[in-house]
This record gives sequence, structure tokens and C-alpha cells, in this order.
Amino acid sequence: MSSASSRPTASSPSGSPDATPDANAAPILALDAVTKRFGGLPAVDDLSFAVRPGEVLGIIGPNGAGKSTLIGLIGGALAPTSGVITYAGRAIADLPPHRRAHLGIARTFQIAQPFVGLDVRDNVIVGALFGRRGLRRPEAARVADEVLERVHLTHKAMLKGDQLTVADRKRLEMARALATNPRLLLLDEVMAGLTPTEVAQAVELIRAINRDGVTVLVVEHIMRAIKGVSDRILVLHHGRKIAEDLPDEVLADPKVIEAYLGERYARQRAAEREGAATSAATGAATSAADADTDAAEEPEWKGGLA
Amino acid sequence: MATHAPARDPLAGTGAAGVRRESREWLWSLLAGVAILAAIALVPLSGDDAALSLWTLIVMFCVLAQGWNFIGGYAGYAAFGNVVFFGIGAEAVALTLLNGGPFWLGLLLGTLAAGLFAFLLGLPVLRLRGHYFAIATLGIAEALGELVAAKAIGGPGGEVSLTPPDLDFHIANTLFFYGFLALSLLTLLGTAWLARSRFGVALVAIRENEEAAEALGIPTFWYKVGAFVLSALPTALAGGLYAYWFLSLQPTGEGGVFDVGYSVSMVLMTFLGGAGTIVGPLIGGIIIEYLVQTTTVAFGDIHGQLLGALIILVTIFLPQGLIRLERELTVSPAGVKLSYTRRFTEGVRRVQRFIASNGI
Repeated sequence: MSSASSRPTASSPSGSPDATPDANAAPILALDAVTKRFGGLPAVDDLSFAVRPGEVLGIIGPNGAGKSTLIGLIGGALAPTSGVITYAGRAIADLPPHRRAHLGIARTFQIAQPFVGLDVRDNVIVGALFGRRGLRRPEAARVADEVLERVHLTHKAMLKGDQLTVADRKRLEMARALATNPRLLLLDEVMAGLTPTEVAQAVELIRAINRDGVTVLVVEHIMRAIKGVSDRILVLHHGRKIAEDLPDEVLADPKVIEAYLGERYARQRAAEREGAATSAATGAATSAADADTDAAEEPEWKGGLA
Repeated sequence: MATHAPARDPLAGTGAAGVRRESREWLWSLLAGVAILAAIALVPLSGDDAALSLWTLIVMFCVLAQGWNFIGGYAGYAAFGNVVFFGIGAEAVALTLLNGGPFWLGLLLGTLAAGLFAFLLGLPVLRLRGHYFAIATLGIAEALGELVAAKAIGGPGGEVSLTPPDLDFHIANTLFFYGFLALSLLTLLGTAWLARSRFGVALVAIRENEEAAEALGIPTFWYKVGAFVLSALPTALAGGLYAYWFLSLQPTGEGGVFDVGYSVSMVLMTFLGGAGTIVGPLIGGIIIEYLVQTTTVAFGDIHGQLLGALIILVTIFLPQGLIRLERELTVSPAGVKLSYTRRFTEGVRRVQRFIASNGI
């Protein structure tokens, strides 16, 4: 399943000597002891990991684990409180987002951020005009049409950004990011809210993008999808890394199950206790509080663990 | 591995059609703008001095709205202090003339000073967004006006009376009229250039979603500074022309060259005509300034209230301007060929939806 093994990109990182011991190739992206605090609260806490060129790294974690913060740190929307972020052998933590885009880092937003007044095609053209390629108008339009074809949005090219369904907005996010011609693509929950068919399409698309030599970092909630697409998976919990390994290893890791799925098991036990008509006030309260936020993801979890 | 489904593509080739339609719209907007200015250019032929000064004022306000359109319409930043550039342009001409310098030097110095001021002011204030930006720019304009008044350039309170140009009164006024008209044409051409350039695309992207624009590789901050400087240039030139045309200036108070009323007019005119469009500010400027001048005569005391009502109606019913209303009414939906009547009824439906979606 996860045999899309890491292959080096055509464009190798510009002379980076700092190869991590566990990787054959020099990492395209490396975080070293990165911390981001909001107020006193750490959203990402002393996080270190490396991404090899050509790899698909999945990142999972419960709500509030720091996944989107991490995307913001790598994409440049957020500045780390401390730590070093290295991309292609170059420290980038001080660069503004547009400079990182020029270097080849593209991101999508968890909540889609279309240019609402522009049509879908113009949305994508902006990416081609200003991204890593910085194309002129006619070529940018051609690239935009290719990319729209690729994400199956061609027939909606003339709609405005705010006339799209949730699924199409996610496609547009992908299309815009792809149009910049990235070397490193950061996908922030592009599969959340999609139907199983759409998820399958998205997985296929991510694989195809990766085959073209783009390194991909996939932040996701949907276990089945991320397991299918990732070479390795990193698990975040309260902003800390609690596991980083091959997908099957990670999902079997007792630490991950305990930290990540523990709440759910606790709720199940609470429900059982309630059924037995014993006092389960605390458990029931937790269950009620979490039910609405997590209920939607439940089937995915079961699917993923089955 | 599922291969890509063959793209369902009932509107194959709409991409190219879209580009053609866009080009056509661009050309029509530009031609409409030139035609409007050409029609106004005939005013002096009437030989009516009252009409001449009325239309001189109208064209001047058109220039102010066109200048504001760069930062407010394209970049979407609600600059409420653009009158400051008008004031700088006017004071530069006044100072130059008072010191015996030539008029053109005053215009040049005023334009350079306003551009530089926009750049330096933009560095801090363009890091602010929304209301904070609007308030900061508003404050700067007020502060600079008070500063000029306190420094008392010219007479007490900064009042200045200039010697009129050494020309026949009627000829001088005609020249000033054509000066403003040329400036408006130049700004129109500049806007048309902007609308097709990378710069313009970047500004629109910033307006529609700044965070996404930055993430896609647009150096948003510097483009905003550029738009701010660009909006300062025609505004300052208009101020310079105004100073030598009107001859008596005061910095603050109603009608003063730093009066925030000018800023409000720029915003209102641009929004009425269509913010972020090539010809919108011209249309808005003509309608509003014409109404202001005629209602002042016809209704005297209540013209302020009438204008207030107009502002309310515009913001409620036309937040996107007359130009876009026209487009909703007449342009067929993407790639679909319709008869004109069908197009119009479809358009009315879309206008209703459009209005409903603008929060009434």
C-alpha cells in the first residue's frame, strides 16, 4: 500500500551537508527543536523531524494537537518561538511566506481561502503567476488549465470562488498550490468533509503529484486515507511528537493508541458503565462534551483500524 | 490504481472564451472612459463660465476617485486619509509660487513629496488591516492639516492667497479645465494598464484574500505600498492644479485642502461607480459631484441630508457599484449563449440574488 518509496527529486537540495543519521538523502525539510507558544501555551512543543525528498509524510493527531500550527510554521504564516526550520539546506524561519513560496513551499488551508471575487481559473492563475515559476500571463493560463484538468475542476473554471461546494473548494486549494510548481507541498486536511469516493480521488491525486517528484506533507484526520498515502506517519499530541514510523508500526504503537485513542476507549467504557446503571457522571460528561466534535470522524477511525 | 476519469467538460474551451470576454470587457471599459472624457472635453465650447467651473470641479473629483481606486478599489484597503496627498500637492504649489518659483516646479515637488510621504506612511500603516488602517490614515490626514495650519504657511491659520497666472481669466480657466481632464485621462490609462498587469492581479488577490495571496508567493506588503504611492500621485497633481486654479487656500476646516470631506467623496464616488474597475470612479465622480453642485443650488440647506440618504442607499443596494450592476444585468453567465431578453431576465434574477447576498 505504502510502497511509493522515497525517490530523490530531479532538483536536489542546494548543497546541504547536514544529512540526518536515519536518512539516506539529505532532508528537504528539517525541524530542529521547534516550539511555538501562543501566550504561555505551547501549540508545538520542542518538535524535531526531517522529511526526505520525494517522501510523503503523514501527520496525524487529535484536535488541538498542533497540526495546523505546524503547517503555519513551515509555510511561514507563523514564526516559531524558538527552534530552527531548514528547507533545502537553508534556514527559513525568518522568511516571509511569499519568499518560501518562491523557494518551492506551497500550502493549502484547512478552511479553504479562495479569492472569492475571482473565478476558479483566475484563482489558479494567481498561483502560476507568482509561485516558484513566476510565469507570464499566457503560460500561467496554460498551466492553470492543466492543473484544473488534473484536479477535475475544468468544468467549474468559470465559477466564482464562493460558488463552490466544500469538496470543490478543497480541489481549488490543491490546484492553486500545484500551480506554484512546488517542491514541498503542505496539505492541511484536504480530505476532511469529502465523500469516500472523493477521498479515493484525492489519495490518487496526491500519489500522482508525489510520483512527479514533489515531496508531500499530509496533515489529516482520516486514518484510512493517510495510511494509504503516507510513506511514514508522525503522530502529534499536545504539540509533541509521540511517534514517527511506518504507517503500520505507528498504528500498532501502544503509545499512540493510548494517547490518541484513549479518550474514545474511555468513553466507550463510560457508556458501558452507564448501561450497567452505575454512577458514571464524569465519564458521561466527557462523552457529551466530545460527542459533537468527534462524531463525524468516527467511521473513518473504525475503517482505518479495521 | 484508478485512472483519472475522463474530464466531464461540457464547456470545453471556456478558458479561452473567458480570456476573450475579459479582454473585450477591458477594451470596452477603456473606450467608455475615453468617450466620457472626450464628451466632457466639449464643455468649454459652450462658452458658459459657470458650466466650465462646474465641470472643472467634477473632473477634479473624478481624478481624486481614480487615485483612491488604486489603494481602495484594487488593493481593497480603506484609506480614509488620501486627502493628505491632495493637501501636500496644493501646499507645495502654494509654497513654490509664494517663493517665486514656477508652477511646474511646484507640481513636480508636490508629486514627489506626496509619493515619498505615501511610501514612508505606508511602511507602518499598511501593516494594519481593516478599521485600524482606516483610522490610522484618517488620523494622519487630520494631523498634517493641523500641522500646516499651526506652522502658518502664508497668512494666519495657514491661509494662502496666490497671484493668478498672467493670463486672460477665461483662457486660464479653460487651461485648468483641460489640465484636470488630461490628468484624468492619464489616470484612466494608468488604471487600464494596472488592470492587465501582474501588479493589478496581485492587488486584486490581496483584496480578495491577503493570506492566500502571500502564501502563493505575492510579496503583499510591497505591492500594497506600491498601490498607496500610485494612489498618491494623481491626487497630489490634482491638489497642485487646484491650488493655482482656486488661488485661495486654507489647510483645515470645510473646503480646506486637508478636509476629510474630500476623502469621503473619493470613497463614495468610487463605490457608487464600481471600486476596482477601470471606469467606475469616473462614473461615480460625475454623478455625485454633479448632484452635489446642483443640489447645493436647488435645495440649499438640505443638500447634505440628500447626500447622506444617497450614501445610505449606495452602501445598501450598490456595494459593488453601478458597473457591476450593469454587468450582472447584461453579461451572459459563463460560456452560455442567451438572447438579450433572456439575458436581461436572467440578469434581473441574478441582481436580486446579488442584492440579497449583500446582507439586506
